Amino acid sequence: MKERLAIPNLGNYTVALAAMVNGMGAEPWWSTYTNDHAMALGIAAAPESVCLPFKAHLGHFIEADDAGVENALMVNSIGACRLNYYRGMLEETLKDMGRKIRIFGLGFDGFKPPVFRYFDPPLIPLLRAVYIGVEKIRAIDTIEMQTACTRAREINTGETSLLMERCLRELSEIHTKKEVRLFRKDLPRRFAAIGIDNKRDPLRIGLVGEVSLLRDRQLNQNLEQILGHRGVEIKNFFLLGGEIGNNFGITMGYKKNTAKQLAVVAKPYLGCEVGGHSRDSVAHTINCAHAGFDAMVHVCPAGCMPEVSIRPILRRVSEDMDIPVLHLSFDEHTCALGMATRVEAFLDILWSRRRRCLGRTKRQGRI
Amino acid sequence: MKIGIPRAFYYHSYPRLWECFFQRLGHEPVVSLQSSQKTLEMACAQTETENCLPQKLFDGHLLSLIGSVDAIFVPRILSIVNGHNCCPRFGALPDATRAGIARGVPLISIEINETAAPLSKTLRNLARTLEADRRTANLAVQEAFAAMEEFHREEAHRQQEQCDNRRFLLLGHPYTLHDQFIADPIIQKMKKLEAPLERMTFADNNIKPGDILWCVFNKMYHKLQGLDPHAYAGVIQISTFNCGADSMMVERFQRVCRNKGVPYMLLTMDEHSGKTGVDTRLEVFVESLSWQRVRAAK
Repeated sequence: MKERLAIPNLGNYTVALAAMVNGMGAEPWWSTYTNDHAMALGIAAAPESVCLPFKAHLGHFIEADDAGVENALMVNSIGACRLNYYRGMLEETLKDMGRKIRIFGLGFDGFKPPVFRYFDPPLIPLLRAVYIGVEKIRAIDTIEMQTACTRAREINTGETSLLMERCLRELSEIHTKKEVRLFRKDLPRRFAAIGIDNKRDPLRIGLVGEVSLLRDRQLNQNLEQILGHRGVEIKNFFLLGGEIGNNFGITMGYKKNTAKQLAVVAKPYLGCEVGGHSRDSVAHTINCAHAGFDAMVHVCPAGCMPEVSIRPILRRVSEDMDIPVLHLSFDEHTCALGMATRVEAFLDILWSRRRRCLGRTKRQGRI
Repeated sequence: MKIGIPRAFYYHSYPRLWECFFQRLGHEPVVSLQSSQKTLEMACAQTETENCLPQKLFDGHLLSLIGSVDAIFVPRILSIVNGHNCCPRFGALPDATRAGIARGVPLISIEINETAAPLSKTLRNLARTLEADRRTANLAVQEAFAAMEEFHREEAHRQQEQCDNRRFLLLGHPYTLHDQFIADPIIQKMKKLEAPLERMTFADNNIKPGDILWCVFNKMYHKLQGLDPHAYAGVIQISTFNCGADSMMVERFQRVCRNKGVPYMLLTMDEHSGKTGVDTRLEVFVESLSWQRVRAAK
């Protein structure tokens, strides 16, 4: 029997990661969001003041260990953010708890990542799996964008979310590159079948901030859906395909917003990379202001080092460029209802702003 | 020109360096007063609520300087020791300061990145931009470094005096250990309890790079690794509320101390003024350890 490998949560993109792990000769153990049970486990075991994504990952891996999974994969980051130390700390915490699960990092210590050394996948199937994974990432990007666009205009509330779930489920069951490509080509047609109200002119809001919070719907209390169902067309700036394309120079159909371009945009306000996605947050906010977005929502876990330190900068951008920014920070005590109330109040202000023609509805630039 | 230097963060990381440097260049350095409850109260009205305590104190010091100086010195610190990095907060510090608290106030800023260029070179460049000639610049840099060395020597001498008896080690960042608001209650209390206390020093920059990239924490880690359980009665770690770096590292230090058999206590300081809690905990820590020794002697 193949050994199992638990992979960290990256929202819907976990589907694509799972496909890659499959090709590595391990059976993936994954979910697209951290469930309540895992959260509770993580919160109980983690040190009190670490940020929310750590608790989510820890809970996720404890759950995996309970299910008998032998290995887990954790991402590293390059930079000054706390994410650097996640893997080591997860390992130590789990060991203290007497758990047997092995945690692999993605870092290179020597010639190849330790996870490859352990599983030692043959090259050809691995490359094939990576190709399928990349193709799936592109498909998920398309699903995400279509969902955001359709959800704001749908006539029967909830229809788009159901379709999105169905699409993801189908995607996870496809195993060849050709089928994935056909699936992706077919997506616009499927989303077009949902009845939409064309007269509606939804608010356009950009979502920026920390990755896990942007992507895990358990952590962000289903923010995308809350906004979508209130008639907001959101633009989530963490699309994995775009991210990979921008950072590694692989063009995956995304030539805009490369890391270099964003650095130039953010330069007047932020002169260097702070860690995480903070520089991108600043740059996207500036871009969105120019493109006539109605507002931005900046999400981060409570006490996030890079994202909190750039808040004064975002506030300044907001004043200079006349774009409202809502700062939401999440910890384990954040409840969905309180968050929804804040978002509703924010949307009310935006709608009245638009009615008074203060919002820049005229400028309909694209990003 | 009057140059304001907030008595926070980099002031403590590079003790005496900045004052000496600006003075030699013919400017008038103005260092803000020791931090107190008032500094914090001033800051709390304007600063980001989720900031850590040292950042709030920094903002308070900035506010106390604004209006009385011509420019404020806020460097961007990316790395203090070669091959290491710093808290991400320091990277955004000048930008965040310019956008937030010190809006409209001229800032003097440099990028300190030891990994890319040594500090002396960065300082010489700064001196040149402040319109000093080459000779003055070189002299100023030399004397500034000498002043910092002097401070480190004095500090080492002070520690040396206590070396004979079993002592406690006070761990924390340079800017928490030397901050009056954060560390003073602890130091005073330990003095009152007549427990010898050694403050962690950061003078030695020759550290082996490990998996901890934050230089301050790597220094602390090495210090703990080489700790002699017979020379130290215990370790007192100062952590500040909402410090992201502490939240990751404190657990690990605790583990090191547990393996070594050195008692370890974590004191998390926040912005509340009541120091009774700190007093009680220190008393209990010191007393219980002294009992332990008495029992062992029997």
